[in-house]
Amino acid sequence: MTALKKLTLTEPELVLALQSKDPAVLKTLYSMYSSALYGVISRIITHTELAEDVLQETFVKIWQSATHYDNTKGRLFTWMMNIARNLSIDKLRSKDFKNSLKNQDIENNVSFVDEQNKVTFNPDVMGVKQLVENLKPDLQSVLNLVYYKGYTHVEAAEKLDLPLGTVKTRIRLAIIELRRSFN
Amino acid sequence: MSVENLKAYIESGVLELYVLGDLSPEEALHVEEMAAQYPEVVAEIAAIEQAMEQYAMQNAVEPSADVETRLFEKLGIRDEYEIETVSMPPVYTEEPKIVRLDGSDGKVRTLRYALVACVALLILSTAALFITYNKLNDAHDQIASLNLDKQKFAGVVRQLEFDNKGLDNMVAMNDSKEWATIRMAGQAFSPKSKMNVYWNKKDKTVLINYVAMNLPKTDAEHEYQLWALVNGKPVSLGVFGKLDSTSNEALQKMQTIQEAQAFAVTLEPMGGSVNPTMEKLTVMGGV
Repeated sequence: MTALKKLTLTEPELVLALQSKDPAVLKTLYSMYSSALYGVISRIITHTELAEDVLQETFVKIWQSATHYDNTKGRLFTWMMNIARNLSIDKLRSKDFKNSLKNQDIENNVSFVDEQNKVTFNPDVMGVKQLVENLKPDLQSVLNLVYYKGYTHVEAAEKLDLPLGTVKTRIRLAIIELRRSFN
Repeated sequence: MSVENLKAYIESGVLELYVLGDLSPEEALHVEEMAAQYPEVVAEIAAIEQAMEQYAMQNAVEPSADVETRLFEKLGIRDEYEIETVSMPPVYTEEPKIVRLDGSDGKVRTLRYALVACVALLILSTAALFITYNKLNDAHDQIASLNLDKQKFAGVVRQLEFDNKGLDNMVAMNDSKEWATIRMAGQAFSPKSKMNVYWNKKDKTVLINYVAMNLPKTDAEHEYQLWALVNGKPVSLGVFGKLDSTSNEALQKMQTIQEAQAFAVTLEPMGGSVNPTMEKLTVMGGV
């Protein structure tokens, strides 16, 4: 228990405590990752209240399905981030979200969200935006859709009218660009 | 799978989609099979994951504080969390002790400075006290010598007052017609001696003036005796001592005598004699 008083824990320690359902670990996990996960969520869902709901749902799901996490398949954060992304995308397509947009029909939904994202670009996102703007425009547009707006690569291919393979390559190149900028 | 094929697989972008959670379960399973087989695939996935994680960390957005509150309420682990915080004090009890130790260290340092200051003050005080003591001794010496001077001057003043009084009386007596001054001259016993006797012609009072006499000093067993010679017979007019420091009166009244032809003074044992000791006749003078 005392080990959990530390501000941060190593990933194996976190996983072990999380899977043994130690309530204190969720506190640690929240303090370590809530803002990073909220950063992902709030870029997909710009509506603050809904985004915070999704953040809460994300941690509930992390807590409830901790035993499903398999560390051989990837990092804990990747697993948590994908929970956050999937819940965000689910929320975008949910009845809740559509109700909050007041009678917007499904066809216009995506473009409405696009528009909303454009005009209400959060200052917190500026760093990301700048980084992404340094990418070539074709890489930028793919990453925008997939990372910011929660598109699948199939949806992005449709939206950009590109072959699936090209979208995949561009996502890869964009991420390689990010890897390079972090190193 | 050949090296070229593996490279093409890695470069296809499927691993990025895997990390982004953008693959169907079948596709994801295939990636996991590849990862189990090829360490290159594992390394590539790890690199992509780290890039995405760093990316997310750098672009973190702080959610409002009440999300956390609501989350823990919803999960019903608030109570446990509170038990957690309650169980925290034992963990942190060490810290106040450390702070207290630091504090006492500071105190010891302060006390050390205070001690040094005290010692310095003590040395200064001792030096000041020594100097003051010396000055006080000097002052005492000065006071003693001044006292001595004062006593000397007082004695001189007393003598001068005494003399002045006697002289005043003599002047007064000379001015008056009532008083007769009989000058007695030194005799064989003490040739240098001389003395005056004042005799009032009216009431026959006899006075002597200590200022107006010059007689040898008497010892403890003797004093002078004044005589009047009446028709050849000595009559005692009383005894007197040499200048007595305790008496301020320059004049001394002797016994009255109705008639006398001469006055004389002899040195006699204390208390005087019935008849004068002629060998010790000091002064004598006729009327």
